[in-house]
Amino acid sequence: MKRWLWQALLLDGVTGAYAAVLLHRIVWFHMVQGMEPPAISPWELVAYALAGMLVAALGFTVRCTLGAWMVDPHRLRPWQRQCALHIGLGLLVLTVWTGWIVTKVAPLELFSAEGLRSAGRLFGALLTPELSILDRALAAMVQTIYIALMATLVGLPPALVLGFLAARNVMRHHVATFAVYGVLRVIINFARSVEPLIWAVIFSVWVGVGPFAGMLAMTVHTIAALAKLYSEQVESVDPGLLEAVEATGAHPVQVVWFGIVPQVVLPFLAFTIYRWDTNVRMATVIGLVGGGGIGTLLMQYQGLAQWHEVGLIVLLIAAVVWVMDYLSARLREMIA
Amino acid sequence: MALFELREVTKVFPNGVVALERVSLRVERGEFLAVIGLSGSGKSTLLRCLNRLVEPSAGQVLFEGADVTHLRGRALRQYRCGIGMIFQHFNLIERRTVLENVLVGSLGRVAVWRSLLGTFPEELVEEALRNLEVVGLAEKAFDRVRMLSGGQKQRVAIARALMQRPHALLADEPVASLDPATAHSVMRYLEEVNQRFGMTVVCSLHFLSLVRRYARRVVALRAGRVVFEGCPDEITDEWFRHIYGEEAQEVEIR
Ligand SMILES: Nc1ncnc2c1ncn2[C@@H]1O[C@H](COP(=O)(O)OP(=O)(O)OP(=O)(O)O)[C@@H](O)[C@H]1O
Ligand SMILES: [Mg+2]
Repeated sequence: MKRWLWQALLLDGVTGAYAAVLLHRIVWFHMVQGMEPPAISPWELVAYALAGMLVAALGFTVRCTLGAWMVDPHRLRPWQRQCALHIGLGLLVLTVWTGWIVTKVAPLELFSAEGLRSAGRLFGALLTPELSILDRALAAMVQTIYIALMATLVGLPPALVLGFLAARNVMRHHVATFAVYGVLRVIINFARSVEPLIWAVIFSVWVGVGPFAGMLAMTVHTIAALAKLYSEQVESVDPGLLEAVEATGAHPVQVVWFGIVPQVVLPFLAFTIYRWDTNVRMATVIGLVGGGGIGTLLMQYQGLAQWHEVGLIVLLIAAVVWVMDYLSARLREMIA
Repeated sequence: MALFELREVTKVFPNGVVALERVSLRVERGEFLAVIGLSGSGKSTLLRCLNRLVEPSAGQVLFEGADVTHLRGRALRQYRCGIGMIFQHFNLIERRTVLENVLVGSLGRVAVWRSLLGTFPEELVEEALRNLEVVGLAEKAFDRVRMLSGGQKQRVAIARALMQRPHALLADEPVASLDPATAHSVMRYLEEVNQRFGMTVVCSLHFLSLVRRYARRVVALRAGRVVFEGCPDEITDEWFRHIYGEEAQEVEIR
């Protein structure tokens, strides 16, 4: 009961402060004054906090807020429930309104005559691709596929090692190894949560714009993503076989080799093939930010507004991605 | 001197479950000892204390009079190597051949790098084939384990355990997932190993009929404590109800 009370007060406080921020900065400045809100001052922060406390106090005493409703909806009077409901609805409306302003939504622009004409021209050009640059585009495409392949191959060995070192059931027997496990988990999760596009930006500053930066970016992401998949697979092996190998007096290395490896070979293979397929798709996008290959070529033609050439490249990418998708699915089916 | 001796062994798992409570027990060399008790009474934990897959929380485990309670590292591996174990669910590498599985039993005696390369010494391969003959599976040596029946798999597991040239064999409900006829055939191999090689066997069982037929001595556990110790035919109806609880249906377990 005590904890419920704290949660209710917290909910009311947060909704109160949130509503105050939106009302002041979006409704007041944007709508009424028609200007960008100035930078936040400390006094404003205090005011927002006070608003939150006010609502929390209201919930605690009058019991007509979301928090009061959350604690015990059935004990509220009808008018209290109505009031809480309106607060919720008001917040929803305010949130969508804010989103509209922040995103600068302007539906009319979708239908402006000029816009429609440009879009029509573009789509027309895309559908009449310029075939004369086919050889250039193919060469760039081959580069993209090889970038993806290299990222997969280079990322594979470290990912294999990490797959075992980041598996709880392999590392939990000893304090030292368990610490290694914890640290590796954190690093892997961090590397995985940074999008490959951002890695590409980082590496293009580091080693210069080009295919190498793209490959490095995807290698990092491949290592992290595969290590995560591998370690989860290792953690889900049948512990019975592990125990049986342990019972023969085998060395820990032998326990892994005879107790775990036979159980994970096929899933590992499937994950790796899937990763290569994903990497090809990713490599086309990474080219857009300077990672080389077909994406970079696409950006060049787009910058020159040569839409027929862009059309060819887009069709080529679609075809290759589709073929890779199909091939990888068939391969994985075969080994399953 | 007893082969194994447990002195007041208690095992408390990290989650607080007391699986064994002050269990004292002697296992004589060459005997066939059955361990019975309800599910969760601690049979598996008891067997795992004997080959130190489980480390007791308190008390002592003695092997040939030597204290093995807190062995670690190499010494622990050497100790485990001298005791074979078979399991209810066989725990074999399904996708590998019968021979490869039997050779797993020799891991404790092979250099790590050799075993990783899969180049087991010729004499070990011959020994593995001889052990397969003991369990009547010589002609299956190069078949994949996946293709075998349950009874055959358990015999492969016995051959794997024999590969350790063990002083004793621990069997944790070895026939619980087999039909009655197959169960007897597997139990007969354990009996043969016990009688022909004089190997000590400690076997947890669910069916009293099997206990009466194969064991010479029985230990019964209830909630982690030893509640009965004696010959199989000393288990009267009264003892039976004491071990398995008032509601237990004798027919099912007999
Ligand atoms: N690794 C473990 N961690 C926590 N608790 C465990 C563990 N292993 C066993 N236990 C608990 O210890 C108790 C005894 O388990 P044990 O497996 O020894 O019983 P058992 O007699 O072999 O039962 P069964 O006939 O079901 O195999 C049970 O309550 C079980 O839940
Ligand atoms: Mg058990």
